[in-house]
Amino acid sequence: MTRTLSYPAALRRAIIAPLLAALSLALVVAAALAQSGDAFGRQSPPMDPREAFALEVLPQPDGSRLLRWDVAEGYYLYREYLAAETEDGRSLTLETEPGVTKDDPTFGTVEVYFHGTEAQLGAAEGPVRVTYQGCQEDGICYPPVTDTLPAIEAAATPPAPGPASVKDPATSVASESGIILANEGGLLDGLSARGGPLLVLAGFFGFGLLLAFTPCVFPMFPILAGLLAGQDGTVGARRGALLSGTYVLAMAAAFGLLGLIAAWSGQNLQVALQSPWAVGVVAVVFVALALSMFGLYEMRLPQAWTGRLSGIGAGRGGTLGGAAALGFTSALIMGPCVTAPLAGALLYIARTGDAWLGAAALFALGLGQGVPLLIAGTFGARMLPRAGAWMEGVKAAFGVVFLGMAIWLGGRLLPGPATLALWAALLLGSGVFVGGLDRLEPGSGTAPRIRKTVGLAAILAAVLMGLGAASGAEDPMRPLAGLRPAEAAPGVADNDIAFTPVTSVPQLDAALAGSDGPSMIYVTADWCVTCKVIERRLWPDPMVREALAGTTLITADLSEFDAEGQALLDHLGSVGPPTMVFLDAEGREAPGSRLIGEPGVEEVVASARTIR
Amino acid sequence: MTNLTRRTALTGGLLALGGITLWTATRSARAQEQPLRPTIDEVMFDPANPVLGNPEGDVTIVEFFDYQCPYCKANHPVLNEVVEADGNVRLVMKDWPIFGAPSVRAAQLALGAASLDSYLTANDALMATEGRLDDTLIEETLAEAGLDVAALDAAYGENRDKWDGLLTRNGAQAAAFQLRGTPAFIIGTVIYPGAMDKAGLENAIAMARG
Repeated sequence: MTRTLSYPAALRRAIIAPLLAALSLALVVAAALAQSGDAFGRQSPPMDPREAFALEVLPQPDGSRLLRWDVAEGYYLYREYLAAETEDGRSLTLETEPGVTKDDPTFGTVEVYFHGTEAQLGAAEGPVRVTYQGCQEDGICYPPVTDTLPAIEAAATPPAPGPASVKDPATSVASESGIILANEGGLLDGLSARGGPLLVLAGFFGFGLLLAFTPCVFPMFPILAGLLAGQDGTVGARRGALLSGTYVLAMAAAFGLLGLIAAWSGQNLQVALQSPWAVGVVAVVFVALALSMFGLYEMRLPQAWTGRLSGIGAGRGGTLGGAAALGFTSALIMGPCVTAPLAGALLYIARTGDAWLGAAALFALGLGQGVPLLIAGTFGARMLPRAGAWMEGVKAAFGVVFLGMAIWLGGRLLPGPATLALWAALLLGSGVFVGGLDRLEPGSGTAPRIRKTVGLAAILAAVLMGLGAASGAEDPMRPLAGLRPAEAAPGVADNDIAFTPVTSVPQLDAALAGSDGPSMIYVTADWCVTCKVIERRLWPDPMVREALAGTTLITADLSEFDAEGQALLDHLGSVGPPTMVFLDAEGREAPGSRLIGEPGVEEVVASARTIR
Repeated sequence: MTNLTRRTALTGGLLALGGITLWTATRSARAQEQPLRPTIDEVMFDPANPVLGNPEGDVTIVEFFDYQCPYCKANHPVLNEVVEADGNVRLVMKDWPIFGAPSVRAAQLALGAASLDSYLTANDALMATEGRLDDTLIEETLAEAGLDVAALDAAYGENRDKWDGLLTRNGAQAAAFQLRGTPAFIIGTVIYPGAMDKAGLENAIAMARG
């Protein structure tokens, strides 16, 4: 509850798996189609060699390239015809993998690659020509294929090759000052490089689906329920689908619009989403929702809308309009919850200027989030029991979750012990209401006893947290940490780890020039509330401090968000705080090490290890 | 399919998804940019190119080939058999060296042999080699076939412009026809990419005769 997930890593895996399943099915179909060529007793027509031997170039941080050929089924590539040279014809070393020796009388001992291979191409200046050659088995042999690879903008590290500019988002991004950012950039970049816009959209749709099962989206259910059952209402499945569909479309449109606004204004959406105002308002909304769940008041749509809803047939447009308006505003509630995927989309927009794809990706995200809502809206009315005791229980549970969300959001604004005290209060209340303090009769059955146990456990936890809060602790997982005698942190003398603050690119360069070891750049700002959490929770953590010992620590402070600040962000390839960029001793960002959002201790430690 | 990597799956899937559109699009784009097609005369009756089979035959089989292309060589006995059995087929072997320097060297010496009226011997000997070629292997092969390599070299050198011109035209024709590689057959007015079996060749000849 208190730690956000690291969306990119976890979700990437979760999304790729189902995609793979779907796509590999398509592949089987494609292969079956290709096979049908044999019905004429001949080979299927040979493919374009660049399709048969699809070459993928993965620039490495050190200026070298990894070449990866994906060889189509029924085709093979010759090992000894793989070659690379500079534009002026100087041949370059290419480290190739051993191939399969093809045993054929007309063939001799030639090593070939079926399916695919990889080769390592050493660092080279300027554009590079790569030549490869292969055959369709029992069919045709292709003339050599030559691809010219654009120059890699290389490191400014001492022995590095010369610079050239590369716009391709899949290549590493270097800057004059000599830091080289890892090439992954964002999830969008990766998806886009791998499969184009379709995959980006599919990926974000999947994101949305996963986000739909986080508490961020829970408030949508009661809102939608209110919309559907505004009156005594027997809303049929069709009507329900229509209304919830409108609601979901509007919600997705709001997300898409946010993306467009962000792109056009050039402004940082993060800044707005993270402002104390936004976070505070959303926290209050969650409290209001919770109170409604507890039955303090009934959530009702404005009379005008419900009135129209009752007259099915008439005023349909108005109701749909209401659904649209609700959906649109609902998206804003979720904004602070979905910072990580938003950051991915915004990073892509910033890098490529492709506002439409960014907006479309966010739209797809919204649609994905809306799928469960659509299902609930269509079938929910008939599937769920209309009322009854357990429905009250479910609503109460929702209420507790909403209060928890409010505390989680509020924790970014409030001092740590105050947040802990709130958690204590929430647990205490839950414990009491579940029945932790109710009297058990000798004849009580299992259910009341379980309730009592759960309630008492919650109350005990609440007491511990309350004690912790009183003693100044901040972490709900370790509420009594403050009561332990201060342990001598090994290797770290004082209580502050030293950051060098910088506010512009030249200052950053100066700070980096003063270090010959690894460094970590932490992008932060006064107005970034998530950063407060990081600074309070992560920097004092002994494991984090140990992992970062010997690392030059720099804060890129964007409190004054001006042109220099924007330049600094662009320089770091970041969309905004909080972002942590880990550079090794050569000034290269370690692939996969970048942390965006509010990471856990383990993630910081893992990233810090990659640059040692 | 055994080596189903993520990339394979993604690429394959996307190809399947957008494949047809893309295919049509590239096709029409290419149709517009391709150079003028060579005439039948230029392809089948290039005066510089040696003719095998029956020079007076009513059907011409043109094969774009390379002396190192495994399928050209594996296919060659079948081709010879069909041409011989038919008795009324002109066979035009067009050198299209795609496997680098040894292929060019083999083509040059074989064309040199054409000046000495021993093209068939040179061509058959080289097509019967196994595996990859290098200069030594080429020269040994030709010597074993009873040819004087130095004489072939000299004969090629004497008419260098003629032979180099022929090789250049062959390459240009292959490009104009957008041939994928070797072997590629042109029989009648139809292009057949890749190796052809006996029945395939016979059908193609029958089709060319109408």
